Amino acid sequence: MREEKFIKFLFVITAVSILFFCLMPFFYMLVISFSTSWDITSLDKIRFSFSNYIEILKDPSLHCLDYIKNSLIISAVSSFISVFIASLGAYAISRLDFPFKFFLLLFILASSMFPQITIVGYLFKFMNKLHLINTYLALIFPYIAWTLPLSLWIMVSYFSKVPKDLDKAALIDGCNWFQVFIKIILPLSKPGFISAGLLSFLFAFNEFLFALMLTIDYHARTVPVGVALFQGLHGELPWGSIMAFSILSLIPVILITLIFQRYIIQGLTRGGLKE
Amino acid sequence: MKTYYKSEIKTALIFLTPLAIFILLFVFIPIIATFINSFFKDITFLNKKFIFLQNYFYLFKDAGFWQSLRFTLLFIIVSVPAEIILGLIFALILNYNIPYRGFIRVCVLLPWVIPAVVSARLWELIYNYSYGLANFLLLKTGLINELVNWLETGFSAFFALIVADVWKTTPFVAIILLAGLQAIPQEIYFQAMIDRANVWQRFSKITLPLLKPILIIALLFRTIDAIRIFDLVYVLTKGGPGGSTTSLSLYAYKYFLSGDFGYASSISIILFLISFIISLLYIKFGKFEQEIL
Repeated sequence: MREEKFIKFLFVITAVSILFFCLMPFFYMLVISFSTSWDITSLDKIRFSFSNYIEILKDPSLHCLDYIKNSLIISAVSSFISVFIASLGAYAISRLDFPFKFFLLLFILASSMFPQITIVGYLFKFMNKLHLINTYLALIFPYIAWTLPLSLWIMVSYFSKVPKDLDKAALIDGCNWFQVFIKIILPLSKPGFISAGLLSFLFAFNEFLFALMLTIDYHARTVPVGVALFQGLHGELPWGSIMAFSILSLIPVILITLIFQRYIIQGLTRGGLKE
Repeated sequence: MKTYYKSEIKTALIFLTPLAIFILLFVFIPIIATFINSFFKDITFLNKKFIFLQNYFYLFKDAGFWQSLRFTLLFIIVSVPAEIILGLIFALILNYNIPYRGFIRVCVLLPWVIPAVVSARLWELIYNYSYGLANFLLLKTGLINELVNWLETGFSAFFALIVADVWKTTPFVAIILLAGLQAIPQEIYFQAMIDRANVWQRFSKITLPLLKPILIIALLFRTIDAIRIFDLVYVLTKGGPGGSTTSLSLYAYKYFLSGDFGYASSISIILFLISFIISLLYIKFGKFEQEIL
């Protein structure tokens, strides 16, 4: 029993260090965003103030709110469509019998593992030809394609948990495949939709390379590009403003994580490995 | 011989069409186009010219390419094992019955859910030479005697990138491994305790072997992701100092940006081939066949 007590003590100490490691940078970010100076070596200069937030919100040339708005719209639309399309596909894969099914599933799964840089050059030319550069659609289309494999995988794992006798009974009663899909499978797989939708949303919200290549200015630029290209007026970086902008843009993702952590974790573990 | 029903195949086709269109149009056709383009001299405003393997020959002699290939591989070799080991420690803690477990789990998840660019910016400030948190804390605790210029020398910039990446992605590993730990039946541990196995024996003889398949999946998942590292180096070191932290993605991006699409394509195809091989390993070890349907 003494061994058990020692282990417990060791675990608590490690847990505290882990918390410190994970949260310290956030705390630092928060402090800098709310203070007048970012020089922590002279602590007396650091005073609490909203000036960074007021500055980035008041200066229209920074477009901080535009970036956040763009990010929210693009991520919401692409995750919604991704989950819808993935659920159609997942239904076919989990319920219908057709040749090359396994091969098809592998093919789709593999497509999310490729480096984005391999396709971004072509996408740039493609979107340029369609005159879509610097529009929401230029990002929404690739984000849908890029999140489909994970959404599909999550939906397949949820759909295959719905007993097949249920839809057999419905088919005998005269429902067609579409009715079975809408009336039986969908309502029973709500957690799957939430998981897949949240993960797709997070992916789209965080994506950087496509957004960097396919947008030009605040009309379509998303938060990651805005944060990465945030420049000071006089050479030195305005760290207070950058951190304030970062904090503002993190509010949606952090809220989602706090509220829906169960679904995110479920989606991650189902998407990544077998149940 | 399995028999299929025509009506069922037809329905399946209808359900799968939107999915197929998106994946073909925005993933597979671009990859094929990039592959074809890598055989061309394709520079903006100049005439496109077929040069077959010449881009690849040039790659072979390009010191910048070798440097970024070396950095990318070195980054994987150091960061992925560090994340797996640390992730395993996180997962063991989260699996243990300590107070506020749910709260700790959310906190651990936070670094992973934020955009990589935001975390890179945050670490850029932390590593700042004159007023960053890293120098401040290390100096205060006496771990260093003079300020370290983290992002300006090759070795410390590499180290700085690893720490920032470990902070960002260890949560992902931890969550995946935690699911694996929770799938191990508790009775095995009780039995082992009755047999007087100590903590280390229980860990090395029960936990590790049973966790092995999931460890391999986490390892391959992280590797696939680390190969394409872009956001972190783009913001934190911009590939410097002296190109020593330029990843293959960033190297290809620089050529895309300068308008040399042909050469950039050949770099990204090399990157694609490396990750393709690892994806095959993933599919092989993931044992997907058993679990579908």
